[in-house]
Amino acid sequence: MRALIAAAIGLAAAFALVLTVTALGSPSGRTSPEPLLTTVPAHP
Amino acid sequence: MRRKASLILLALAVFCTALSPLLRFYAFPRLAKIPAERYQTMVLEAKPATLLDYGTMRAKKVSKVTIVQTLRGNVEASERIEESAGRDVVVWDGLSYVQGPDGKMVSKLPERYIFDAHTQEPVHATGEMVDGDPVKRQGIEFKWPFLTEKRAYEYFDAQTRTSAPIHYKGTRDFRGLEVYYFEQTIPWTKVPFPKVMPVEGITPEFVAGTGTTRWYSTVRKFWVEPVTGAPVYGEEIHKEELRGGTLLGDRDKVTAFAGHVKMREDYIRSTVDLVKSQRLLVLLFTTYLPWGLPLVGAGLLSLSLYLEARGRRPGDPEQSAVAEPEPVNA
Repeated sequence: MRALIAAAIGLAAAFALVLTVTALGSPSGRTSPEPLLTTVPAHP
Repeated sequence: MRRKASLILLALAVFCTALSPLLRFYAFPRLAKIPAERYQTMVLEAKPATLLDYGTMRAKKVSKVTIVQTLRGNVEASERIEESAGRDVVVWDGLSYVQGPDGKMVSKLPERYIFDAHTQEPVHATGEMVDGDPVKRQGIEFKWPFLTEKRAYEYFDAQTRTSAPIHYKGTRDFRGLEVYYFEQTIPWTKVPFPKVMPVEGITPEFVAGTGTTRWYSTVRKFWVEPVTGAPVYGEEIHKEELRGGTLLGDRDKVTAFAGHVKMREDYIRSTVDLVKSQRLLVLLFTTYLPWGLPLVGAGLLSLSLYLEARGRRPGDPEQSAVAEPEPVNA
């Protein structure tokens, strides 16, 4: 019985971690202030 | 104590094993996406090239033609579209700016490309355009989907405003990366004049009024890193002609632009470096963790069973201390 409970805890933790990470997602950024280029960037 | 440890190990083993498919099939498709705010530039060169001299209306050889391509993620536009589309959307405002050897503009082609951030499927919304003309893209443009397959994809061609298959032509090695080579041929097709012509005072309507038409053909080549779907190198054998009309006098056609366009070396290096780092991240979710975690789980389970077996052994001092009663002295 204790083994079953331990396995259930492990399973629940895996689901909780994945669901939390996917729900958080990645933060949305902002549009770059850089322009659409009409000049050729110099060769470094 | 051993019993407790074996139960903790069992929980960890189940955690690791369950995490493997959850990461690969649930988390990865939701987390792997093109960032909406991405800004990137690319420089391509054709050395030498043929350009139309608008003064004499004759083609001339030039040492170099440069194409500067910018893609800028429009976050505000993508958030607006996401509200109605109900999915993660990326809006790229792009500009292909072609410059002659004297630094003067040859042509410029602005476009807005809207697509699903996870799958790269096109999303149709107001504002999707090429050079101001509303379009409805089919297939992909600029980038392939994550985990690219060895098959043909529909690829959008901005000049013709249509999509055509881009064919998988084999697996190659490109600077230490395994890449899929794709090729698309656009046969000679009549295309619209750009809204902004290279000569001041000449409008596309004026040129069209002379009966002259613009034709275009290209062979587009991409070397695509399949894990990220990012092209690490590209080439284009690009040809443009003006045909017919009073503008050409007694000639049937004249070359407006011809050249073998290739990515500039510094951009190849930075693209390869970027793709290598992003590739590791994708592989973590698709290969390393999904295959590694079950192995860790199996190890933890074995350790848990071992501890459990040790805990139950009759001769074990920890077990016997509990099981055997203390002798009673009278």
